[in-house]
Amino acid sequence: MTGSIEIDVKGLDFYYAGNIHALKRINFPIYKNSVTALIGPSGCGKTTLLRCFNRMHDLYPNNRYEGEIIFQGTNVLSRDIDVIDLRSRIGMVFQKPTPFPMTIFDNIAYGLRLRGMRKRAELSETVERVLKRAAVWDEVKDKLNVSAYELSGGQQQRLCIARALAVKPEVLLFDEPTSALDPISTAKIEELAINLKKEITIIIVTHNMQQAARMSDWTGFMMLGELIEFGRTDKIFTNPSEKLTEEYITGRFG
Amino acid sequence: MRRERLRVIQSRIAFVMSTLTALFGIFWLLFIIGDVLIHGIGALNINLFINDPAPVGVEGGGLRNAFVGHLLITIFATLMGVPIGVLGGTFLAEYARDRGISRFISVLSDIMVSVPAIVVGTFVYALLVKPLGHFSGWAGSVALAIIMIPVVLRTTENMLSLVPWTVREAAFALGAPYYKVIIQVVYRGAATGIFTGILLSIARVTGEAAPLLFTSFNNAFFSINMKEPIASLTVSIFQYAMGPYDSWHAQAWAAAFMITLFILVITILGRLIIKWRYRR
Repeated sequence: MTGSIEIDVKGLDFYYAGNIHALKRINFPIYKNSVTALIGPSGCGKTTLLRCFNRMHDLYPNNRYEGEIIFQGTNVLSRDIDVIDLRSRIGMVFQKPTPFPMTIFDNIAYGLRLRGMRKRAELSETVERVLKRAAVWDEVKDKLNVSAYELSGGQQQRLCIARALAVKPEVLLFDEPTSALDPISTAKIEELAINLKKEITIIIVTHNMQQAARMSDWTGFMMLGELIEFGRTDKIFTNPSEKLTEEYITGRFG
Repeated sequence: MRRERLRVIQSRIAFVMSTLTALFGIFWLLFIIGDVLIHGIGALNINLFINDPAPVGVEGGGLRNAFVGHLLITIFATLMGVPIGVLGGTFLAEYARDRGISRFISVLSDIMVSVPAIVVGTFVYALLVKPLGHFSGWAGSVALAIIMIPVVLRTTENMLSLVPWTVREAAFALGAPYYKVIIQVVYRGAATGIFTGILLSIARVTGEAAPLLFTSFNNAFFSINMKEPIASLTVSIFQYAMGPYDSWHAQAWAAAFMITLFILVITILGRLIIKWRYRR
């Protein structure tokens, strides 16, 4: 069942501005067409790690990466990588829904237009396809020209997933995508993510251990900027090798 | 028990005082607006809009030149002030948001908002009128633009910072470069707020006489030449109100009424847009 390695994190260190050492010597693989969950107590660096994959840290001055993240043979941390191209191959869904202040249609079309797609028919076709893929089409098909703010939080989050899918990413990063949603919306998004892994590779940061257990094939447990343990989800949750992992899983801290 | 009575008494005193001061302020406001209404509506007639000033004693003089001049000065002030204000606000809220310079400029423009308009007038006098040797419509527009810039700049900055940061990150995550994120996503989110700020800044400068007195001055004849002195409603009001003739006074009242009406309409429009946008 172990597929090929999609992303290989090798000796990754990350420093926030002011030389704050946020990630220490991280090594682990991300397997193709699987769901990898990153868990750990608040401030352990899981979101920081997630944001390394699409170089989101570049948006803020004086952040520094060391080591390598090899994605399909190239190091995404290298200076001469095209970040814009990288971000269309590695998409991201955020903690809170982030619809743009425009219509539902334009939200989805945004990334496509950014890549030069202009033909209305082509846009409409893709918008419909990804909204169906994100299981939100039936709820929005009659109001594509309505502001995305009119949707509920759960619908907005699925809209954001659809928007990320529209540009055909190979990897999708989820940063606590359900922490602001009710249980029903959460279930829909979990189901959606599991479905998506047939086509893409998923990395998810979550605070909810049940969610990690339900969704993921692989789990990494982090603490204080270090990856304490990485392995198959069932092993991490039933028979972890590290004492710290066991203590966190059983709720002794965090 | 006694302590509670004391609190009640203190509360009543504060209530009465604040109500009285509010009424005092509102009274004068209504008095002024009422006065303008009563005298202004009575003095309105068609000659005011279609005729230029007539020599004293001749019937049917108007302020067409001042209406047109005022419009020109305001339009060019807007064309100069709004782009600078919006782009400056964008710089502060986006590109320089974490830098000390941003705070510094924000504070500076807050101070500029409250600089007396006549100081701006004399500044432009020294900058444009004195060196060029004569008053001009351009100088008037520049003076008004200088008054507009800090207002537009601060509203733009505030409206842009109301757009959640995560929305920008989402656009970045789709591979958009920063300038596209700002133009296509952030401006769209802040558009109504910025537009309202622009409207209110126009309302703010429309009623100014002091900065024009030193810059565009006045012109008794019809002119659309911005390089020459040009008439404006506010300066005409000032001049006519000071003059000795009843017909001048009547025209000043009518002009005052028209300006008040214009500002009222723009302000209400601005408020309505805010209300309509944020009702959800």
